[in-house]
Amino acid sequence: MKSQAWGKSPLRALAASLALACGLLIGGMAHAGETAYTVRPTDLKSRYYTDAQTLRSLPTNTRVEILGRRGGWNHIKVEGKTGWVKMLSLRLGQAPQGRGDNGFSTLFNVAATGGTGSTSTTGVRGLSEEKLNNPHPNPQQLAKMHTLEVSKAQAERFAQAGHLKPEHMDYLPAPAK
Amino acid sequence: MKTRIAIPLAIATATLLCACALPAAAFDFGNLDDIKGALKKVEKVGQQVKTATGDIPQSKEIEMGGGIASNLLGAAPLVNNAAVQKYVNDVGRWLAMQTERPDLPWQFGVLDDDDVNAFAAPGGYVFITKGLLMHMHNEAELAGVLAHEISHVLRKHHLKAIKKGARTELMVEFLSEATKDKGSNANLVKLANAGTQLYARGLDKEDEFEADRMGVVIAARAGYDPYGLPAVLQTLETLNPKDSKLALMFKTHPALQDRLNLLSQEMGGGRFDRFQDQPDLTARFDSVMGIK
Repeated sequence: MKSQAWGKSPLRALAASLALACGLLIGGMAHAGETAYTVRPTDLKSRYYTDAQTLRSLPTNTRVEILGRRGGWNHIKVEGKTGWVKMLSLRLGQAPQGRGDNGFSTLFNVAATGGTGSTSTTGVRGLSEEKLNNPHPNPQQLAKMHTLEVSKAQAERFAQAGHLKPEHMDYLPAPAK
Repeated sequence: MKTRIAIPLAIATATLLCACALPAAAFDFGNLDDIKGALKKVEKVGQQVKTATGDIPQSKEIEMGGGIASNLLGAAPLVNNAAVQKYVNDVGRWLAMQTERPDLPWQFGVLDDDDVNAFAAPGGYVFITKGLLMHMHNEAELAGVLAHEISHVLRKHHLKAIKKGARTELMVEFLSEATKDKGSNANLVKLANAGTQLYARGLDKEDEFEADRMGVVIAARAGYDPYGLPAVLQTLETLNPKDSKLALMFKTHPALQDRLNLLSQEMGGGRFDRFQDQPDLTARFDSVMGIK
C-alpha cells in the first residue's frame, strides 16, 4: 500500500512525535501528548485499577496532559504529577473555561484544524442529504462489494494472527433514567 | 396502527372473496375445492400482513439491504484499494462472528468520501467512509465503529424505521414476491429508496445509544481493547463542529457528549477491567493504512 494514499493526520503525527520525544511508551499511543480536561470530579489513581490507591481528587475542568492509555484508563500528568484517571472522565482539548495558552495548546489547535479545517460545500458532494434523498443505485459497485466478502475461516486466521482471543460478555442493560 | 393493518387486510379479503365468487358461480353447485383454495389464500395474505408488521424473513431483509447498499454506493463508490477493503472485511467479519447473527452474509466497505460517517444496511451491509477511517489510530477503534454498525443490523433498527415509514401495502407486496431479478423489482426499488432517505434523517436516538453499548461489548468479545469506540467519539469531539464533513453525522446522531456520558456510566463499575490488556493492534492498522 502506498503511504501517500492515506497520509498521516497532522494530529497523529504530532501526538506520536511528542510522545516519542518524551519517551512515553506506556499503553496505547492514541491521543498521547494531547491536552484534555475532566468533565466530572475524578479520582487520580496510582495505577490503572478501580481499587488502586487514590492520590487525590480532581475537580471538574482540571486540565491534564495525556501520556498514554491502558484500557479504560488514561495515564496523565497534572500539575507536574503523574497518575491514572478514567478515560471517560476526560474530554480532549481545552476546558471550556479558562482556556490556557501555553505554546503547546496553540500548536495543538493549529494541528487539529490544519488537516480537517472547515470547507464550504459547493455543488453536490458524495454522501450529501440531496444524494441520499434522490438515490441512484450502483449495481457494479455492489457486485464488487460481494467479491470482498470474507469467510469465517479467513476471519479466524486473521484474528489468530493478531492474537485476538474471543471472550464472553453479556450485552449491557440500558442505564436507568 | 390498527387501521394501517386493517385496511389492506380488508381490501385483500374483499378481492379474494370476489375472485372466488366468480368460479363458484360458474358451477351449479359450489365447488368445495375453490372455497378451500380461497380460504388458504386469505390465510396467506393474512400471514403476509402479519409479517409486514412483525418479522421480515431474512432473505427479504438481505434483499432490501442490498438495494440500500447499492444506493449508498451510488452516492460514494468503494475506495479502490483491495488491501484496505480486505482488512476492514477481516475485522468486521471477526466481530460479527461474536454476535447472535454470525451467519448473515456480512460485507464491509470503505466508501471513497471525505465525509466523516459510517452506515449499516439491513442484512449485514456495513460502510465506513475514508474520512472517518483517517481519523482512527488503531484496529480497536475501527472495530469499535464497525461493532456499533453491526449492532444496528443485529437489532434491525433500519428495518424497523423503514417499516414504520413505508406503506403497509408496499411491504406486503414486496414480501409476497419471489426473489427474482433484483434490478427490476419495483417494490424493492421503492423500499430501498425510502430506506436510503432514512440516512439523511437518522435513526431513533435510543437506537444509537443501544448500538454504542452493544458495540463496546462486541469489541470486547472479539478480543479487542473495548475502548476503541469511545476513543473515536473523543477524537470527533476535537474536530471543528462547523466542518461540513461532519454535518450529516452530527445531524443524524445524538450529541457526542451524551454518547460519551452514557458510555461512561455503562462501562463503569469495573465491568471492563478484565479486558484491560486486550490489544488495540496499532501496528497492524498502521501497516495496512500505509502509516510508518
